[in-house]
Amino acid sequence: MHPISRSFIYFSIFLSFAIFSQSQEFIFPNQEQEDRFYLLTNEIRCPKCTSGSIASSNAPIAEDLKRKVYEQIIDGKTDLEIKNFITDRYGEFADYRPSFESWNILLWIGPGIFMLIFGFLFFREQK
Amino acid sequence: MQLSKILAITLLGVFFIFLGKLILDDKTPSSNITGKPFPQFQQLTLDGNSISHEYFIGKKAIVNVWASWCITCLVEHPFLSERASEISIIGINYKDDKSDAVNWLNKNGNFFSTNIHDPIGNLAIDLGVTGAPESFLVIDGKIVSHVIGELNQKKWEENFAPYL
Repeated sequence: MHPISRSFIYFSIFLSFAIFSQSQEFIFPNQEQEDRFYLLTNEIRCPKCTSGSIASSNAPIAEDLKRKVYEQIIDGKTDLEIKNFITDRYGEFADYRPSFESWNILLWIGPGIFMLIFGFLFFREQK
Repeated sequence: MQLSKILAITLLGVFFIFLGKLILDDKTPSSNITGKPFPQFQQLTLDGNSISHEYFIGKKAIVNVWASWCITCLVEHPFLSERASEISIIGINYKDDKSDAVNWLNKNGNFFSTNIHDPIGNLAIDLGVTGAPESFLVIDGKIVSHVIGELNQKKWEENFAPYL
């Protein structure tokens, strides 16, 4: 066998093991918990990265926070409790879905209010 | 007034409100721990003794998160060594092998009052740590100030000196 072909086969085997070990890192008793894990890790921002969730990051802190989310899901914590655990330590910055309070209210309802105001002005001008 | 003028003025207004908020809200987006009590914990030191959050009650100390694999920790080590004569410095040995940490201290000097071994990084997460090095000023069990990255003269004067 050509040395390059042999290297390719070894590399493929190594890659398969790497992918398998990655997917087996967190084992969930049921699908609902696994779905919650993927949703939560996509909604928590990696505190070490410029942008990106902990799900999309391989930074050591992102790996640690994924482990924390996993442990807390297994412990029966709710999504809110897990999010609070993260934001208590890393601030609102770490939550991609900002809470409905303080300045964040403007972010949530601002676009709707502007739409209503301009809709009203637009139709009044048309008359 | 024309609708386009109202629209332009409103959008400019919104832009400046958010710009002002962005400039005034000068907080580090990686830790929410300043002003809070030191998190509860019960762990072992590198010497094998038990230590808990109660250690900090009635004390003034710098808590420094470090590791033998951390290059910046080696860079800030001489500066911390100088400060150790003024204030007690407690280490949190972060995600490190115990023997590597002990060898590192033997080689580079050990000015730490004690070193909490945090091999998994659980205590560090409770402190809102994102990596090593990071330093905290703790006064009577309360976290007063926090520095991310290398602790040097400038950061010391800005973040820690006003409280000492």
